[in-house]
Amino acid sequence: MTDTMVDGTGLVRVGLRVNGEDVTLVVEPRTLLVHALRDELELTGTKIGCDTSQCGACTVLVDGRAFKSCTLLAVRMDGAEVTTIEGLADGRSLHPIQEAFADQHGLQCGFCTPGMILATADLLGRDPDPDDEAIRRALAGNLCRCTGYQGILASVRAAADAVRTPA
Amino acid sequence: MIPAAFDYVRPSSLDEALAELADPGARPIAGGHSLLPMMKLRLARPSRLIDLAGLDLGAIGLEDGAVRIGALTTYDELLGLGEEVPLPGALRDAAAEVGDAQVRNAGTVGGALAHGDPACDFAAAVIAAGSTLVLRSPDGAREVAAEDFFVGPFTTVLEQQELLVELRVPVPAPGEGSAYVAFEDPASGYPLAGAAVRLGRDRGCTVGLTGVGAQPLRAAAVEKAIGDGTDLGEALDMLGLVSVDGDGEHRRQLACVAVSRALEAARRRAGA
Amino acid sequence: MSATEELRSQAVGVRRRRLDAVEKVSGRASYAADAAHRGLLHARPVLSPYAHARIVSIDAGAALELRGVRAVLTAADFGALGGSGRRAEPLAADEVVFAGQPVALVVAESEAAAEDGAELVVVDYEPLPAVVDVEQAVLPGAPLARTAGGGEEADTAMHGETGAGDESGVDEARSENVLDVIGYAEGDPEATFEECAAVAEGRFRTAWVHQGYLEPQVALAWPEGDGGVAVRSSTQTTFYVRSDIAQIFGLPLPKVRVEGATLGGGFGGKFALIEPLVVGAALSLGRPVQLAFTRSEDFAATNPGPGLVIDLKVGARDDGTLAALEARVLVDGGAFSDSSPAAFAGGKVGGAYSFEAWRVQMLAVRTNRFGAGAYRAPLATPTAFAIESLVDELAQQLGLDPIEFRLRNVPAAGDARVDGIRWQQTGMRETLETIAAHPLWERRADLPEHEGIGVAAGLFPGGRMGASAVCRLDSDGGLTILSGYVDMTGTDTGVAAIAAEIIGAPLDSVRVLAGDTNEAPLAGVSGGSMVTYCLGNAVALAARDARGQILEYASHQLEVDTADLEIVDGSVRVVGAAQQSISLEAIGSRLAGFGTSHPPVEGHGTAVPADLAPSAAAAIVHLRVDPDTGRVELLDFVAAQDCGRALNPALVEGQMHGGAVQSIGYALYEELRHDDDGQLLTGSFLTYAIPRIDAVPEIETLVVEVPAPFGPLGARGIGESAIVPGCPAIANAIRAAAGVPMRELPMTPRRVWQALQGA
Repeated sequence: MTDTMVDGTGLVRVGLRVNGEDVTLVVEPRTLLVHALRDELELTGTKIGCDTSQCGACTVLVDGRAFKSCTLLAVRMDGAEVTTIEGLADGRSLHPIQEAFADQHGLQCGFCTPGMILATADLLGRDPDPDDEAIRRALAGNLCRCTGYQGILASVRAAADAVRTPA
Repeated sequence: MIPAAFDYVRPSSLDEALAELADPGARPIAGGHSLLPMMKLRLARPSRLIDLAGLDLGAIGLEDGAVRIGALTTYDELLGLGEEVPLPGALRDAAAEVGDAQVRNAGTVGGALAHGDPACDFAAAVIAAGSTLVLRSPDGAREVAAEDFFVGPFTTVLEQQELLVELRVPVPAPGEGSAYVAFEDPASGYPLAGAAVRLGRDRGCTVGLTGVGAQPLRAAAVEKAIGDGTDLGEALDMLGLVSVDGDGEHRRQLACVAVSRALEAARRRAGA
Repeated sequence: MSATEELRSQAVGVRRRRLDAVEKVSGRASYAADAAHRGLLHARPVLSPYAHARIVSIDAGAALELRGVRAVLTAADFGALGGSGRRAEPLAADEVVFAGQPVALVVAESEAAAEDGAELVVVDYEPLPAVVDVEQAVLPGAPLARTAGGGEEADTAMHGETGAGDESGVDEARSENVLDVIGYAEGDPEATFEECAAVAEGRFRTAWVHQGYLEPQVALAWPEGDGGVAVRSSTQTTFYVRSDIAQIFGLPLPKVRVEGATLGGGFGGKFALIEPLVVGAALSLGRPVQLAFTRSEDFAATNPGPGLVIDLKVGARDDGTLAALEARVLVDGGAFSDSSPAAFAGGKVGGAYSFEAWRVQMLAVRTNRFGAGAYRAPLATPTAFAIESLVDELAQQLGLDPIEFRLRNVPAAGDARVDGIRWQQTGMRETLETIAAHPLWERRADLPEHEGIGVAAGLFPGGRMGASAVCRLDSDGGLTILSGYVDMTGTDTGVAAIAAEIIGAPLDSVRVLAGDTNEAPLAGVSGGSMVTYCLGNAVALAARDARGQILEYASHQLEVDTADLEIVDGSVRVVGAAQQSISLEAIGSRLAGFGTSHPPVEGHGTAVPADLAPSAAAAIVHLRVDPDTGRVELLDFVAAQDCGRALNPALVEGQMHGGAVQSIGYALYEELRHDDDGQLLTGSFLTYAIPRIDAVPEIETLVVEVPAPFGPLGARGIGESAIVPGCPAIANAIRAAAGVPMRELPMTPRRVWQALQGA
């Protein structure tokens, strides 16, 4: 799949996979991935919390790695495999990371939660048994104002256990 | 939040990319994590973005006593290199300091250096390591010492139609040690003062500083002070340190401490 | 509702998941900007670059020529508005009073077009002298922050109760920037200070801090029905938004309907601030309009917690009892004082203590900064920084253990606070005793160099408000609680436990729905540590009512007296003969069917607690100061808090954790700064540092339970006290570690290092 300019409109056609499904976007070059996900694809689980690429609420996985979708241009995502929070669960079963966050109170208002969960997914994909220092390092780009991060640390530890030793 | 409108093109070769840059309103984009934030605040308004992602500039190799790092290598890829790639300790230290996990997944070493931010951890380390930067233009290639690459705030020696394509880092000699220590702003994560120190076998040192000047720089005066055992603070004063919001005195102190601690860590690694 | 009733079921004290956990972790929760809306237009404000100016002209010509831009609205388009203060002036009409104040609103087909349009609006300003520093602003001859109008009403009661005070003891010439002077006095402080064995004093400066909710403010509004308007917003109060909008736009109350979306954090900052802007646009254009602030706009144009200058002097007798207090507090209220918590400062400056004699003067000052709002436990944390620092110094002068000193000064019920309000019985003694017993406290005398351990106490007196709730038995046997309160902190999960406990139903069978202002029972605000405390009581009454109706029906079905029935695990059964039973599911389905002879089961409850129930809190912090850089590393943090009754211990701890980290932010990182021209220097997360995960230690929580006499099952509202003690504990620990008393917040590395240089 190659992106192409749509003649005369200034728009670009992009082909990518989002949550396992092939998707075609026709967007302005300046469209941020987070806006394309929320507005074009109506996947509003990915949040916008800042405009300086810091808060991490917009975190998604691209080819398995965590990125801030507010700092990616949709037109550069041709051929990419994007996973948003909506794509993490398997049908009606929650992903073990989602279960862990729910059980261990890794959330209160929940606004940072999708980003936090996906950053955790990247971490556990690389390091199945992270210590606290590794967890803090992996999530330093995800701000939370409600939980004081304690429930989040507990959730990631529990998620790591669950992912390592599936029931 | 949303950049001003621009055109977008994704060349498939370096020559094509360089040709596109003939347009004075065109800017190249690599990882995008320095440029896009500025565009989102509309502080940068290129009329055309030249996407470098299609270029083959991510290779890592060893040649002529130097580690050759393609400009599109991300921080994450760099940090993932095993011990078999003989990178100076300061480079790994600095790469680990940058941003956060998501930023390190996206940000490229070439993009970061070309951006010319006066507060750039990696730049200090690259300078201290005695690196060479390879630049390409339609006229061919040229090499510039890292310490000569940065000339002002967000200003490098790169011409409009020129791209940084490779970073060459000398393989550390036996008995050498280097380290990077920085004190970061707790909000932005950028270094308020960062010092990379490389100690050679002959105990001569190279010091790269960031955060304290108009650009990342090699601090010859500090190197001399270390060699002579004289006051680091006075050596730093000769550089003309920046002061933001009246923090000059504290920033000077941070710079002194960063240099001292990087020197200490470099010594331990050299001795190891 | 008796606080001492024995618990019957497994519902209370269980660490169950939040009711909304699954929808939030799956990304399905609907926050205000997530709702799709046909024909939605997007708004972008044009903000004033000047801190003080007159608007000469607004030229929207270039903006209107852009494709996609539908309108550029100014104050003139909104017409004459009712109400007063900031809410009545969503767009500056003539005089701009802070840099960041909205002066126009661009409305367009897309966010991108709105942003493009906003850049092209040309506003001609006549700059006026600005006054930014609160200490400058009070001086006679200072530039006036506002030259005309104002007319704000302080609506502070929603943030908790405070004593009225009076204008006595005004002893200095002041400029007209001083909006309000409130004084409290009792006895003869000068004479009493003479009798004190220990006296401590200091000038404390604290910074403006932003609530820092992760979800920036957002609201959408659309015309509805016949001349009505509907609003959906990220808000802590749908009912106050409704009454504000009705008043501002001159609409009958029933023509305004407000929905509260899932709230991405509030902390006091989301009280009907931006809804007037977006409603004005929707009514002007007759179209749905959404305004979603960017983070930069949120920093520039909302209502952060104010900065204070506190001159405080306290004295204690030789037995350690606090005797005299003298205080002068300047509260920098910024340009608007509608929601200003300025009035709170006077009541808080004495902290958690009583005195014999005092004189307090509190000045609410206007400057050319954003209007101050409430930030979690308004003014309790900065005033605690002052009083708790001096309390430690008094303890040291008298050679007393700092916790012992505080224990000697726990007020008895009926003792007076410095604003005259009488203290209730609180769990402060038990909380202090709990924290004193923690092993960390014992280590304080035997630490390595540069390390220190500090303690502080604190509380937010809380508030009370009327609340109503409905408890309905559904056809599946489940119970649905209807309330009008936005669930900001997990209160829905807490009140579900109350209902389950009272009725005897399984926790999983209780749902809580927050309806809009048309559907829901009347509600107040989610804030002020009032929701669990007040709504909980209403829910308890509604649940009791429903339980009575259920038993009455069951008694007929089982032909047994209600006195011989119990409800356990969702089943009504005969005491001692459990096999004679009828399930809630059976009852629910029968009552929902055709031909039923019994009315539906629906309980109602309305309540207001008879008195306040402050939640006492304390913290011990162990830290290390790097003398070379001034950087502070937090090593251990122990928080104790009295929650009355832990309906769900995980939620209680979550409030304690979150409050502790916000207190850390107050102490070490957070500061909204302006330059001399009133330009905001810290307008994004690049410059305003809320704590990241790698900046906080493990936080240990000790939950204390001293039942509140009027709380539901004894529960107290806990949300705010959690933010109070951490910051002063850190200050006291830095003093222990480095030997320097800290007098300014935040205690950044630069300030700590400078204090060390001066020492």
